[in-house]
Amino acid sequence: MEKKLFDKFDITLFLAVIGLLVIGIFAIYSATQSSVSNAGFYLKQMTFGIAGLVMVIAVSYLPPRYISSLSYYAYGLAIVLLLMVLIFGRTINGNKSWFFIAGFGIQPSEFAKVATVMAVANFFYKGDEENPKISPVQLLIAVGLVALPAVLIKLEHDTGTTLVMLSFIIPMLFFAGVSPFLLFAVITPVAGIILAFINIYYFFAFLAVLLVILYFMKKHWLISAGVFALNVVSGFSVNFFYSKLQPYQQNRIMAVFDPASDPLGSGYNVIQSKVAIGSGGFFGKGFLQGSQTQLKFIPEQWTDFIYCMIGEEFGLIGAGVVILLFVVIIYRLLNNAYLSRNRYLMLTCVGFASLFFFHMFINVGMTIGITPVIGIPLPLVSNGVSSLLSFLLMIGIGMNTYRHKDIFLS
Amino acid sequence: MKREVKIYVSLGIVLVAVIALFARLIQLQIVQQQQFGKESEKNSIKKIIETPARGLIIDRNGKIIVDNRPSYTLTITPFQFDKNLIDEVANLANIDPEEIREDLAEAKGTNRFNPILVKRDIDFKTIAYIEENRDRLKGVSYQVESLRYYPNKFKGSHIFGYNAEISPKSLQESTENYYRQGDLVGTTGLEKFYEKQLRGEKGSRLILVDVNGREVGAYNDGNNDQKPVNGADLFTSIDADLQEYAEKLMGGRRGAVIAVDPRTGEVLCLVSKPDYDLNAFVGTPDAKEINRLFNHPDKPLFNRVTQTRYPPGSTWKMMMALAAMASGKITPTTTISCPGSFTFGNRTFEDHGGYGSIPVVRAIEVSSNVFFYKLGLMLGINDYHDYSAKFGFGSRTGIDLPNETKGLLPSQEYFDKVYGVNKWSQGLLVSLGIGQGELGVSPVQMVAYTAAICMNGMYIQPHIVRRIYNSSTGQEIPLDIKKNQIDIEKRYFDAVKKGMYLVVNGTGTAKNVKNSEYTLAGKTGTAQNPNGNNHSWFVGFAPYDDPKIAVCVLGENAGWGNQFAAPIAAAIMVRFLSGNSADVFNESAKTEVHD
Repeated sequence: MEKKLFDKFDITLFLAVIGLLVIGIFAIYSATQSSVSNAGFYLKQMTFGIAGLVMVIAVSYLPPRYISSLSYYAYGLAIVLLLMVLIFGRTINGNKSWFFIAGFGIQPSEFAKVATVMAVANFFYKGDEENPKISPVQLLIAVGLVALPAVLIKLEHDTGTTLVMLSFIIPMLFFAGVSPFLLFAVITPVAGIILAFINIYYFFAFLAVLLVILYFMKKHWLISAGVFALNVVSGFSVNFFYSKLQPYQQNRIMAVFDPASDPLGSGYNVIQSKVAIGSGGFFGKGFLQGSQTQLKFIPEQWTDFIYCMIGEEFGLIGAGVVILLFVVIIYRLLNNAYLSRNRYLMLTCVGFASLFFFHMFINVGMTIGITPVIGIPLPLVSNGVSSLLSFLLMIGIGMNTYRHKDIFLS
Repeated sequence: MKREVKIYVSLGIVLVAVIALFARLIQLQIVQQQQFGKESEKNSIKKIIETPARGLIIDRNGKIIVDNRPSYTLTITPFQFDKNLIDEVANLANIDPEEIREDLAEAKGTNRFNPILVKRDIDFKTIAYIEENRDRLKGVSYQVESLRYYPNKFKGSHIFGYNAEISPKSLQESTENYYRQGDLVGTTGLEKFYEKQLRGEKGSRLILVDVNGREVGAYNDGNNDQKPVNGADLFTSIDADLQEYAEKLMGGRRGAVIAVDPRTGEVLCLVSKPDYDLNAFVGTPDAKEINRLFNHPDKPLFNRVTQTRYPPGSTWKMMMALAAMASGKITPTTTISCPGSFTFGNRTFEDHGGYGSIPVVRAIEVSSNVFFYKLGLMLGINDYHDYSAKFGFGSRTGIDLPNETKGLLPSQEYFDKVYGVNKWSQGLLVSLGIGQGELGVSPVQMVAYTAAICMNGMYIQPHIVRRIYNSSTGQEIPLDIKKNQIDIEKRYFDAVKKGMYLVVNGTGTAKNVKNSEYTLAGKTGTAQNPNGNNHSWFVGFAPYDDPKIAVCVLGENAGWGNQFAAPIAAAIMVRFLSGNSADVFNESAKTEVHD
């Protein structure tokens, strides 16, 4: 009986989620306990965490066709909400992405992530996986489905979430059956541009590796040469276009790639955050004992910079456990995608796994100074109801995929 | 590609990323742990914002007319502050404890690490008390800040304007992410107009503080610090001496004075009365005094030179003369019969005398109303509007002060809109001909017009600031002053100027201000208005053959133009040209002359 229960219930995924929620609540408590105005945050997070877990279980039982048939409606609703927030929204920390209903702040952009993944998955629902035939028009529509909410979110000045919106389209197209070579040809110039911008020698090394890969891909020499040329041109032109920008625009870009160039803005947080995490050592300073974080040297440390709270007070052990829990979640989502016989659920799981991965990597990387400073939350850990419920909804659908892994629906 | 392969590719990417994260964590938390540990145990880093000194304002002779002085500001840093101290701090700063609670509430949600300004300009005794009780008064501190200081014998209130704490509304609306709660920003006058140039750029210092919040030194030897950049200085064309003189001449009357150099458009003095003491706004403003200023019926905060529109009365007659000659309706020699009154339709318009048949020069000299009633009708609304628009009427002059009025210059469309198409009579042009009716001009428009007349049609945007230079960066900020040659023949200007010459030096309406040393020229105006007594106007320039100053004086409800405005205008012109205040009142001619 017991065994049968877990046969349909993704207990590994569920426990990993609970683990992150618990760590998050402790971290939020520690980050806000000495503050008068924010002291209740952990209670709110706990309440919505428990409610969210109930939702996870409920969603996991829904018939998959209900979920897929809701996709476009969810997407439409997300677009409407994004438009409304543009018109009526309130600005917090420079982002106009908040809605206030009865005193509760709601961020439609968080919900839009889930809805867009669902819409893209639904769009490729009918495809034949063994023999995919995706026309250029289909490809354009899929990209458009992502671009529309991404543009709306960018208009709200929420650059972080805009980048997040762009993070799952490539993996989803990959699994939907778009030619890997085509995706390769699209991704490499972007990578090349970033490398060329950071250091031109990185770019030369990148070009060398690219040549080798292109050789082994054994495409027609003209196509290979075309891809290579595209990379060379885009990489070399980036500095030219950069020099044409206004100085303040240049500063903004520099601050993302090199926080030390802006010690007053984002650089300040990174300096502080590195000290906090580094001083935590192997075991950490202990719960509520982090001097950096308790003295509030890092602003808003219960949201985007919550990871330094964990790194300082729980050390490498705590920081490592958090990453490993994310690996478990991403692994289970991909595993469920692998097992699923339902193409829609397979694609949503891939999209959600990408979202978890991108958020975790950028957020953790930013606090330890290896990725650009982009203001996005650490899933399930950062304080914030909209983000928490959105990620739990993804988990619910991920668990639903596991439950219905043997059922083929078209 | 099989799904299995795709999964492996994805897992591979995740694996690489996770290895990178772990490698970095191990580097920070194991390899560099000791270094970071020391840094965090002993010290933490605190960011102190350094406010730059605001740029100075300097007069045309290099004299500082708006200066800075150092002052101390009481601050509270919320994250260290114990709320039980509120009453003690309020008592110390001599303010209501509620104010501190409000400040703290307002600062919620912002970085609790930033000090909140509680009171500006506190005295040394208070500072000594804070120093003595440092350990007990956690989070209570003070900052050095520079405040405005006015070393003048004049007020200059409407030129300089005041600075005030940024309002929550502008703080929210500001897109540049520069201002913080409690920052001072230029709110009126030059302070507002040149806020961006004057304010400079804030800097910051990162300092190490120990666990008790004590400062122990600079972070990274100050390498991450950013020095504040002081604001740029405004080099104005204001003549401090002339400004003082003009303010004195105006005394307690309501009105406006503006004088410019007609060759450059530079403003020499600018007075709006009643004025106010700018010191009332410095430091922690006295709420009672500020309220009194805001609610005073005479509106002392209002700049009457740039923000108010009045009917120009007879000072408008040069405009009519120029428009009539330029449009070919009359020539300088055309004579028009000017009996003591003029009847249009069933209405009779009065004049203060009959002059026979006279040419335009004489009409200006004696300020005949009938002559200009007739010109108004000859011109028609379109020429009336178009020629006046060339002299800047109905639009902003572009003087470098905020909230300038456009005035009101009626046009065909305007009357069609107000009265309905074909529902208004040409009779409106009769009053408009003598600067009455639906015409509104500001003193700054009038002085720009007078300057353009004496320069034979060279219209120059009046401006107070002639150079912006930042002495700490060596940067010169360019200014863009607009000039425009009005396409009207010089001989028409000569006729008009001749008339203005005779107003003062002939048998005209302002012969009481004739000066033996300098040849003054001008025109009086006595504008009827619905708000009580007539407004007294004078516009003029001097010297007649080589103008160096143009001036406009307005006295609200001050009666005849030649009695109030003309003597003041003449005194200002003579003072500027001679450097001495001369007695310009020609006692013998001090009779009532109608214009």
